[in-house]
Parts: sequence; C-alpha cells; structure tokens
Amino acid sequence: MILAAKAVISSLLAGLLELDSVQAGQFLLSRPALVGPLLGALNGCVLEGARLGILIELIYIDFVPIGGVVSPNGAVAAAVSVLAHSWAGLDPSLAFFWGLFSGRMYCFVEYRLRSVRSRRNGVIDAEVKSQKERLHYWIADSLFSGSAVVSAYVFSFSAASVLAGSVLNTKAIVPAMNFAYSLMPWLGLSGLYFRFRTQIYKK
Amino acid sequence: MKADMHVNQVSRPVTAARPPFAAMFLRSFFIQAGWNYERNQNIGFAFALLPALRRVYGSTERFYSALLRNLEFFNTQPYMAGFILGNVAKMEEKLSAGPETAETIKIVSGVKQALASSFASIGDRIFWGRLKPMTTQLCLIVWTLGGFYGWLFTSRAEYPPVWLIMLGPVSGAAVYSLFSIYWRWKGLRAGFECGGTSNCGLDAMEWPRFIRRLSVLCFSFSVIITLAAFGLFIGLDCYGRPLPEIGFRLLLPLSVLAVHRAVHKLGYSIFWVIGLILLASLSLFFALGAGALNL
Repeated sequence: MILAAKAVISSLLAGLLELDSVQAGQFLLSRPALVGPLLGALNGCVLEGARLGILIELIYIDFVPIGGVVSPNGAVAAAVSVLAHSWAGLDPSLAFFWGLFSGRMYCFVEYRLRSVRSRRNGVIDAEVKSQKERLHYWIADSLFSGSAVVSAYVFSFSAASVLAGSVLNTKAIVPAMNFAYSLMPWLGLSGLYFRFRTQIYKK
Repeated sequence: MKADMHVNQVSRPVTAARPPFAAMFLRSFFIQAGWNYERNQNIGFAFALLPALRRVYGSTERFYSALLRNLEFFNTQPYMAGFILGNVAKMEEKLSAGPETAETIKIVSGVKQALASSFASIGDRIFWGRLKPMTTQLCLIVWTLGGFYGWLFTSRAEYPPVWLIMLGPVSGAAVYSLFSIYWRWKGLRAGFECGGTSNCGLDAMEWPRFIRRLSVLCFSFSVIITLAAFGLFIGLDCYGRPLPEIGFRLLLPLSVLAVHRAVHKLGYSIFWVIGLILLASLSLFFALGAGALNL
C-alpha cells in the first residue's frame, strides 16, 4: 500500500517535472539523469535511479527535438523504469528496457495531445474576434492536461509492470537482460562520441 | 532592407515608455505551452507578447486585431524567442503610431517569420545540438571525478554519497539554465533595440565561430569520457585477468560501437541497435545457458 502511494506521488511528480521538457521553463529539470535519482530517492533506490536515469539519457541523446519532432520522452522513461524497479520489484535491467519502451511509446500520446491542441486555435481566434482574451486560461489548461496525461501514463505503465512481474516469470530472462543492460553504457558513449566527431569533421 | 524602410516610414514618435520586459521575460518561459501542429508556438508567443501589446494599444479594438495577428503560425528555438519577441514588440509600437494597412502588417509578419527561422537554426545547433549533450558530459565528468562509476558498470556495488549523485545532473542543468536565461533576457532587449529590421539580433554574436568552439569543447569532453571509460573498464574490470579474456572483454564494447556506427550509417535509429543487442543476448542465453553470459 505504501509502495502504491509512493508510486502515485512519483507519477504526479513525474507529470510536473515533464512540463519542463517542452511546455514550461526548459531548465533541464526533466532530464532523465535528474528525474531518475529524484524519484529514486523518493522510492528508496537513489543509486539505481541515477544509473537508470543516466543510461536512458545517454540512449536518448541520439534524438534532437527540432522542428516539432516528437522525441522519445526521457522523463517518462526514467520515471517508469524507477517505479518498475522500486514498485514492481523488477531487476534494474528489465526496468531499464521497460522504461525505454514506455518513453518511446509516449511519442504517440504526445503526438495526439499536440493534434488535439490544434483544435483550440479556432476557439481562441473566435474569442479574440469577439474581444475576449483568455490566453492565460488556455496556457494553464495545456499545462494541466499535459501534466495529468503524463502522470496517468507513468502510473499505468508502472502498474502494468507490477502486473507483468506477478504473472510472468521474469527471473528466467534476467541473465540475458543483465548482459544486454551491461552493454548500454557503451552504446550511449558511442552516441556521445560520434555525434561530436561528426560535427568536428563536418565541412 | 525594403521591409526595414517601410516599417520606419510608417513610424512616428512613439511613447517613451519601455515595454514591460520583466513580464515578457517571465512569460517567455511558457513560449512552448500549448504547442500544436497547426500553428506550433503561436499561443505561447502571443501570451508572452501580451504585456507589450497591452502597453501599446490598451484595450482598444486595435489590441485585439494585433493579438489575432500574433496568433498566426510561429515556430522558433524557445531560448532564442526573446529576439523575435523584442523585435515584434518594437514593430507593434511603430505600427501603433501609424495607420494599420495590409502592407505594413504583412511586413511585420514577414520579418517575424524570417527571424524565427534564422534563430531556430542557430538555437537548435547551440542548445539542442551541443549544450544539452554537454550537460550529460558534465554529469559523467562530475560523477567520475567523485568516484562514482555507476554509469559504466551496471551491476557494480557502489555506495556514493547522495550529494554526489545529485551534483552530477544538477551541475549540468545549472550551467545550461544560466546560459539559456541569459540569452532569453539578452535576446528580448537586443530584439527591442534593433526592432523592425529583418536582420535584428543575428549579429548579436559571431554565431558560427561560437558554434564551432562549442563543438570542439564537446568533442574534447567526449574523447576524455571515452578514454576514461576504457581506462576504468580495463583498470576495474579486466585487471588481473588472463590476456585473452581481457581481449575478449574489450571486444564487447568495441563491437557495440561498431554496430551502432554501422546502423547509424544505414539511417536507422538507436532502437535498432538495442533490438539487435537484446536479440543477441537472448539467443546466446537460450543457446548456451546463463553461464555463457556470466562475463
């Protein structure tokens, strides 16, 4: 029960922090390397949280959010992986890959949210034409709905990992997952190295 | 240039009152709130510009007309939006002093969109392409200097202090945020100073040289981190083992680097590499058993 309550609080916190990634501030508070240890500290696994967070960040560094491209969501991935480890009791390796998957899948949710928001333009235009200005309301609405969707998403994915952990024999594949997980830092470093090497040698 | 002249032609002496920079600056942190596919950052931009429009037009009909104009499509790099915000605030101020014609409105919109594209290109290369990855590098450097190698060894038992764990990501975020806040503010002021010109703010810095220097700095960090990773790997994981085993162990990260490079050159994302690694791990595990992966 306490774990579930912590999961709810963590999901809400993840929803708030995620706002920083696009909609508010952009101070890098939503980066996985920070979300991971923060939620890890809340759930009693700060070290694993930091490890999961930085590895997710290294993997997601490959994606650049330019021109309105929806990149995989690092904050969501870090939050889900920390909760999958602390709440569902999954091994860090399994939690990591589950988190990566959830962050990638969130692209579709974000895409939908952005499409839905397009419909508001007509409403806002009509308001302004009738000499009514409520932009602060629409901004607040976007922030609140965005945060609520992220919180619900993180909680759902984490709850799914709890369910999967209790139904499936995940321990059976842990050695294979651990092996793949141990190679992830190198994959991340590869991304970090070649990204800048390309920039340096670009004519 | 024609655009600059025209905006200046319609301008008359305007109010000496400065635009509400502080309110616009604070609101610029929400420039991407309400991001939508139809008009991208239009809601956030209009929201940030609102104090300037109120100052210039009050609550007259022209205020709503100006607001509606600024709810058109808009997209730029969020940290560089200040340049355009300041510029548009200045142009609206000039517009308010003269008659509002279709041509003057078109010029304002043209300058705004042209600058948005230019600053998006510059900002993306600085912030998304270099500074953001640099914060990850800073995190790794802080952790490594503090003796926390959890980012490299996924199963190693370590007990770093919590302050060190938090210091890594916070240091990068702090450097990044200070820099981005500076440009948000400077952009707003500079944009207002040279407002009405279609090259306004583009000469605020020698951007290509700055970008080049950032690239060199980031690449240097990458080299240091990669060398440190291999050094730590050899020193902590391979030390004391027979030479063939060391060679085999070193082959694993090198293979990952090679596969990633090959997949990247083929135009596929990093998820394909992860899929390949997972597939190879599971295949080895089911074919040879857990012992084969106990490296």
